[in-house]
Order: sequence, then structure tokens, then C-alpha cells
Amino acid sequence: MTLNENEITLTLNGESVRAWAPSRMHAADFLRQRLGRTGTHVGCEQGVCGMCTVMVDGQAVKSCLMLAAQLDGAEVRTVESLAEENGDLNALQQAFKRHHGLQCGFCTPGFLMLATSLAARGEPMSREQIRDEISGVLCRCTGYEGIVRAVEEYLQLQQNEGQVVEVEA
Amino acid sequence: MNEFVEAPAAPKETTRQEESLKHRLIGTSVPRTEDERLLRGDGRFTDDVQFAHQLEMAVGRCPFPHARILSIDVSRALELEGVKHVLTGEQVREQSAPLTVLRPVPGAPQLPYYALAQDKATYEGQPVVSVVAVSRALAEDAIELIEIEYEPLPHVSDAIAALEEGAPLLHPQSLASNLLASNGDRAGEPEARIEAADVVLRSRMRIGRVTPLPMETRGVVAVWRPGARELSIHTSTQVPHLVRKQLAESLRIGEECIRVSASDVGGGFGMKLGVYPEDVLASLHAMALRRPVKWIEDRMEHFRASTHGRESIHDYCLAADAEGRFVAMTNTYTTDIGGWNSPFGSSQLSSVIFTGPYRVADAAVERRVAMTNKTPVGAYRGYGQPEVNFALEVLVDRLARKLGKDPLALRELNMLRPEDLPWTVPSGAVYDSGDYLRTLRMAAEAVDYAAHRASPRVPRPDGRILGIGLSSFVERTGYASARFLANRGSKFGAHESVTLRANRSGTIDLYTGVSSIGQSSETAFAQICAEVLGVDFDAVRVHSGDTASSPLNTGAFASRTLIAAAGALREAALPFRDKTLRLGAWALGIAPEEAVIEGYEVRHRDDADKRVPLSDVFSRAILGQGIPHDETPGLETTAHFEPPSAAFSFGTAAAVVAVDPETGEFSVERFVMVHDCGVAVNPMIVEGQVRGALVQGLGAALGEELRYDAVTGQLLSGSMLDYAVPRAADVPPIELLHTEVPSPVTTFGVRGVGEVGTIPPGAAIANALCDALADYGVEFSALPITPESVWRALQAARESTQGAAA
Ligand code: FES
Ligand code: FES
Repeated sequence: MTLNENEITLTLNGESVRAWAPSRMHAADFLRQRLGRTGTHVGCEQGVCGMCTVMVDGQAVKSCLMLAAQLDGAEVRTVESLAEENGDLNALQQAFKRHHGLQCGFCTPGFLMLATSLAARGEPMSREQIRDEISGVLCRCTGYEGIVRAVEEYLQLQQNEGQVVEVEA
Repeated sequence: MNEFVEAPAAPKETTRQEESLKHRLIGTSVPRTEDERLLRGDGRFTDDVQFAHQLEMAVGRCPFPHARILSIDVSRALELEGVKHVLTGEQVREQSAPLTVLRPVPGAPQLPYYALAQDKATYEGQPVVSVVAVSRALAEDAIELIEIEYEPLPHVSDAIAALEEGAPLLHPQSLASNLLASNGDRAGEPEARIEAADVVLRSRMRIGRVTPLPMETRGVVAVWRPGARELSIHTSTQVPHLVRKQLAESLRIGEECIRVSASDVGGGFGMKLGVYPEDVLASLHAMALRRPVKWIEDRMEHFRASTHGRESIHDYCLAADAEGRFVAMTNTYTTDIGGWNSPFGSSQLSSVIFTGPYRVADAAVERRVAMTNKTPVGAYRGYGQPEVNFALEVLVDRLARKLGKDPLALRELNMLRPEDLPWTVPSGAVYDSGDYLRTLRMAAEAVDYAAHRASPRVPRPDGRILGIGLSSFVERTGYASARFLANRGSKFGAHESVTLRANRSGTIDLYTGVSSIGQSSETAFAQICAEVLGVDFDAVRVHSGDTASSPLNTGAFASRTLIAAAGALREAALPFRDKTLRLGAWALGIAPEEAVIEGYEVRHRDDADKRVPLSDVFSRAILGQGIPHDETPGLETTAHFEPPSAAFSFGTAAAVVAVDPETGEFSVERFVMVHDCGVAVNPMIVEGQVRGALVQGLGAALGEELRYDAVTGQLLSGSMLDYAVPRAADVPPIELLHTEVPSPVTTFGVRGVGEVGTIPPGAAIANALCDALADYGVEFSALPITPESVWRALQAARESTQGAAA
């Protein structure tokens, strides 16, 4: 820690952490370099590619557009939090695997976090809507087909599970 | 829609033993091994590699397209606290040699491309100084403090203008003009046939400059241990062994001192094919400082510092008789290589496939490689093939219109038939096998071509007119022999290699120099290896992209990986299997002929009770205990394999567009791709490769372009905001169909598949627009095609008809 670094306290993937960051460090670099969560990637630092997408207080955000200091007090989720407690891939990750939604995998964490936030909305979505909604993250490898199929399947699954819960309640 | 339809099997053209076997794993969509780590954020891309006491590098770049460097003053940068080391061109010249080229154009001089500019820079973005500091931000601050006095020089950014008399010369010490080299191939008497032909069409076709744009930029981490004389390099590359070779040449140290590893690579597409200046710079800094040095390219740098793709101008001539039979073809094309020779070198595939899938014996091609004051152009998916396909296939449709013929019928008339193959093209390359016509007919049928042709071109209720365009292609995948490459000046081989190693857990380590760049080679290699050995897919663990552990190889490019590796895998797996059976049989007290490998066991063919675990067999081998006396200990095999020839993929695409004849607005409503990649090792992966490449091809056809300002020579579309790659919402509905004619020249009959999708989109869309706007007399001669260019073509057509009427 040096003098011009700020202290930041946040909840990261359910765990309370405290760290320091220079004032001009953006949140993506902070997560990667100071907190060691390298699953979040950096592709443009311009807010265009979406590689740095994480969830902050339940919303998908491009973390290269935020300063590290803005994470103070926030609840942050990164790709490292997705797998089940027993180590299995979660339903979204499994859908990506089944539908070949990744090739080089560099964009994958961004899409996974975006899809997780879409599912949290709990609204049904058409393929067209999904295509629009995920257009903030780029993929240069897959042509998007596998990603769209995976997200569609996952959202449907979440919908169905949501309905089951409602019926039970 | 969207289905990967299995077409009825084509007539088998070979009697290879493999095909008579029923495959257990080859041909099945095994889920990918790579996914487990990548989905968890556990990939290890270059920027994820971190060392204690690591320093960071930033690079100062020339802001002009062409400038003399008069002076450099680094004193203020060195005073900044935290700055550790600065390099300028002078030191780089003392400490290193110029970058070498993997595939120099025969006859071209080696240009003195040092890692930092010497007396002048020849493109915007060329490295001029580099700084290492305790953080990247500080290194960038230091760059700002370096005073560089430039004298801007006259520049040239157009490849044709660069070759004209009086153009500013880029490298007068090495070259008397801006022509780096030229070379040609020919067969028959094309000029005489053109002279005598009934119809001759000539056209200049331009293909724009694009960027491969992998989502992970380049990066390098260099660690030097002087006492050990070991330079360890982590870098984002498709070719670790070739980077090692080129680094050794530039750093003037032995290859044995260098270890290059590429763990996960976030896409390459041809762009990460060889050494770059920053790899040399990070190494020099690390060697001077004895501390790890990291450089990660930022996206703004990437647009200027990483090689671009495509830009070329094709002057085609297509001659036919009155029936439309092609009698001769010539293509003189100029490729723009930019300010220096790129690490891989200029494309030459345009010369190999310029006659397309057509029967034309009299043909000539001439390649001219021009230097301009722009970022060097390197390999990009398809590398010369999308370019030449656009030029030729647009011209074929133009000939059809001129003769009043149906474009489908004209293609049918001229296409090579299965019985014409093998067919030798002017470059000497041989089309191996295939049924080209079948893919053409399948594509036409899929879009209901006949019904469309029969109906009038009238606007729909939304004002748009429908058009259908075809584009047929043959694609060279893999390389012919090393002998063929030698004639073309190549500094790499045509082979692939693999090492298999048994371990005590009863599993097999598979070592390959091919890095994981998204092509799923880990999965496909394990499939083939497990298939031949008879073990479970999960029993094979692939270790990729580390020169310290893998046998020397060539690398992941030119759709060649699987073609060559399939052979190496088979050659390594067969002796591995035989020894496993001998040792297992010995343990069981049976004859080796009676033993089979199944799952994690060796067992008696007919007696399931006689079984021994692989862990036991492999342990015996490793210890040298409990094995026959005439066997040596250890169980490890290495094989190098060079395919006897290149395999040619082929197919046809059909685009359906709807265009507004007033505004030029258009959309691609359907895109059908019929493709043959021989035997698909993993159909899911094949579909992913074809789709991904198609979307890149569609992007380049419909809008991606790196534009340079004609006056200032500056890059205009050099950021993610200005350069639009397709987003999920931009992709038209794509339908894939395939046929499966096994290649007779490759192991298991595979053909390459990684690049093919980039090839046909441009021509198919141009032809569809011309079809829709047939009544307007619109022509296209350049890519990309945007609503604006359609509108301009409509204006031009109107003016010319008005002019003719007046
Ligand atoms: S890195 Fe944040 S959007 Fe590209
Ligand atoms: S999988 Fe490579 S960028 Fe999406």
C-alpha cells in the first residue's frame, strides 16, 4: 500500500474482503491484479467488448468502466463463484458446454455473468431478445449460435424452476 | 434451420483400412475437455501469468505513417521514480538482430526490421522506444516524458499507388521500388486462348483491409535466469516452437536457452503466427534487468501493432466461349504487406486456388507484394482464399449476366467433376477428391433457387427485392510436403508431432506443441488417441503448447493442425498400443494377439476374467519390473508425421438478401453453407469452426474495414468504437449442410475446417445483391459492401443508363 492508494472493502463472491488500489485503477484490473480473480478478462478498456463483465449489486456491469474505488461497499460476483459447491459446473455452465458456447473461452466469463444477471430478471425471453441482450459482449470465435442456445436453455430452466417454486408456495 | 444435417454418405473414394473400421470416438461430438477450466474462469491466458518481482513494459510508437527519427531524449523518463530500464533503436541494434520471416517471398530481400525503429519508422504504431517500470501506468507516464523529434516524410497508403513511379520509397537501402517481390504460376497458353475467346471479361476487384481481432490481445512475459542461461517466455501465440526459433535468431542465443509456452490463447485467427517486436523487447529488458518483464498489448495498440489482414487488389480476366465454357483465366494481384514484412509473410493461397472449382487448363497468376506506410499485413483465416473467391465468383456471375445465362447453370457447366480429380492447378497443387457439383445443387435446393429464378424481381410489400447469390469454392487445407514448402521459401516444416507417455495412474499424457487457441485440439487429439489405443477418452490428458515438454512441431495454422496431427497421433499410438498389449499379455500369461485394451484395462479377448488394470501394466513398464526380458523399460512414443499432400475442402454458399432499391438498405435473410471437410472427427467442433469463420467472413463482407485517411495516412477506424465486429444481434440466420467425401491423402480422411467459413460470404452476398437489382444494372467490385455502397452502385447505374439514353 502506498499513500495514494484507497482502501476498499467489498463482498466478493460472498466473502468479505479488504484491499487497496491506486485511484486510477479500474475495477477489472483491481479484481484481477489485487484480488487474484483472473477469470474476469480485459479486452478493450473502452466499454465495448464486454470481456470484463461482472455482477455488481446484482447488475451486470463492464468493470473496465468503473474505478476500483467505486466497488467500496459493493457486492461483487465473478465467474469464479458460479460452479456448485460440490465443484460441479452449474446449469448455465453446463448449457454452455453442451451447446459448444465457447471456443477460446476468453469471452466466456463475460457471457456467463451477463446471462446470470438476465436470469435474475426472471422474465421469459425470445431468441431475438436474447440476441439483443447479449450484444454487449463480443465473441470472435463462435458466431454466437452456441451461446444463444445455451442462454435460451438456461433461461427456460430458470423459468420452469421459478414456476415450480411459485406453485409450491 | 440451424441444423447440422448429415447428408447421405457420398461414394467412398478410398479403401483405407480406417474407414472399414467402425469408429468409437472419431465422428462423435464428445464434449470439450477445454471447457471445464474455461467455464470456471480457470483458463491461464498470458495476462494471468504473474511472477514475483515482475515489472511491466510499455512501448512508445511512431504517430506518423512515415517519419525520420531525428533524436530521442530519454533522460527525463529515467529520472522518474520506479522506471527501471529504457531501450531505444540504437541499443536494440547492438543487442539483437532483425526479426526474421517464417515465410519470405522467394526473391525478396530480408528487410532490417528491428524490434525498435532505427533511423525511420514506416508505419503508424511502429515501436520506437520501450520502457520498463514497476507498473504499466508508470511505464506509460515515462513514455510521455521521452522527447522524440520526428521529421514526417511523404507517405503512401495505397498499394497500387505505392508501385507507381515516383512513389515515396519505404526501404531504399534494400529495395529500388516498393515492390517487395513478385512471383507467378502458369499453365497452358492463357493469352492465346483469351485472344481467341468469344467473350472476355476484365475487372479490378478490391478487398478491404480488416483485422482478425481476437478477443485476447497479444502479450508476453519474459523471465531470464542468467546462471541457468534460460529465457522463459509465456506468450499468446499459435506457434510456440516457431516463436522460439525466431526469438533465438533475433536474440542471437541458442534455441536450447529458450522455452516458450502458450497456455490458453484467446483466439489467434492467423494473427498470432510468429515473433513480434514486443517479444524481443520484453526479452531484452528481462535479460538486462534479471527480473520478469510483462507486456500486455492494449486494444488501441492492437489496432496498429498487430498484423492486419486481407487487403489486396485483383486484376482478373475471365475468357469464355459463346456457350459460357471457361477457356482461360488470369489474375494479376497486388497484396498490400504494409510497412514491413510481417512475421509470417505475404499470403500466397490466392495463387493456389485462383481457378476455383472450375475446369480451366489455360491459366496464369501473378502475385505482386507491395509495401505501403501501414501496419504490416499477416496471416488471417483463409489467407488469400476469401480474397480470390470474391473476385472470381463475382466475375462468374457477371459473365452469366453478359451471356444471359443462369449463374447456377454456368457454374454447373464449368465445374470439375469427381472423375476429373485429382486435378493439378497452375501452382502445381493437386485437388485431391470431391463432388463439387453436389454441394452447388444442395445449396441451390436449400434456398429454392429454381422457384426464385422463375419468379419476377418485384418488390415485396416492404419495398424490398429478394435476391439469391451463390459462391462455390475449393479450399486448400494443410500443407503439401516440406519439399513443396521449400520451393516456396518457407522456413517451417509441414509435419506435426506428438509424444505419448504412460503414467502410473493408468492414464496417458499426450504432449503437443500445438497451443490451445480455441480450435479444440485438446479434445480432438484425445479423441483420436483414445480411438487408436482403445482406452477411454478421459484416460488421455493433453498437455499443449510448451516447447520444453513437446516434440518439435509446426503449429496451429493453415487448417493444418488436425490433418498432420491425426497422422502423428496414429503413428505414435500404434506402437504404444502394441507394447501395452505385449506387457499386459505377459502379466496375464496369454499371447499378445489374445489381448485387447478396453477402458482402463488390458484383458483377454474372449475371457473377461483375465484382466489387468492399465495402471498395473504402465507401472511395470515404468519400473522395468514384471516385463518380458526382451522388452526395454518405459512406455513412451513420439511420432512426426508429414501428410503426403494437402487436402482440399470444398463447398458452396447461398445468400438470400432483401434490398431496398431506393435507399440501398439491405439485410441477409438467410445464409446457407454446404461444406465438405471429409471425415469430421467431432461434428460439434466442426460446426463451431464453420459458424465462427462464417461470422468473421460476414463481418468482413458487410462492414469491417480498417480505413486510412488519404491525406494524413492515419488509421481512421483504429478502436473498438470505430471498427464494428458482428455482435450477436447482427448475425443472419445461418444454415449448415455438409457432405462427407473422405480425403484419400490424409489419415482418417479428414480435411481442414478452421478457415473455410471466411471464404464465400463476400461473393455470395455481392451476387445476391446483383441478382435482386438485376433490373438496375448494378455491379460490385469491392469489399466490404454496405448500404452506402449499394446506394452508390445504384446511383452509378442510374447515371450510366441516363448517360446512355441522352
Ligand atoms: S474490457 Fe471492459 S468492455 Fe472491453
Ligand atoms: S470463444 Fe473466443 S471470443 Fe468467444
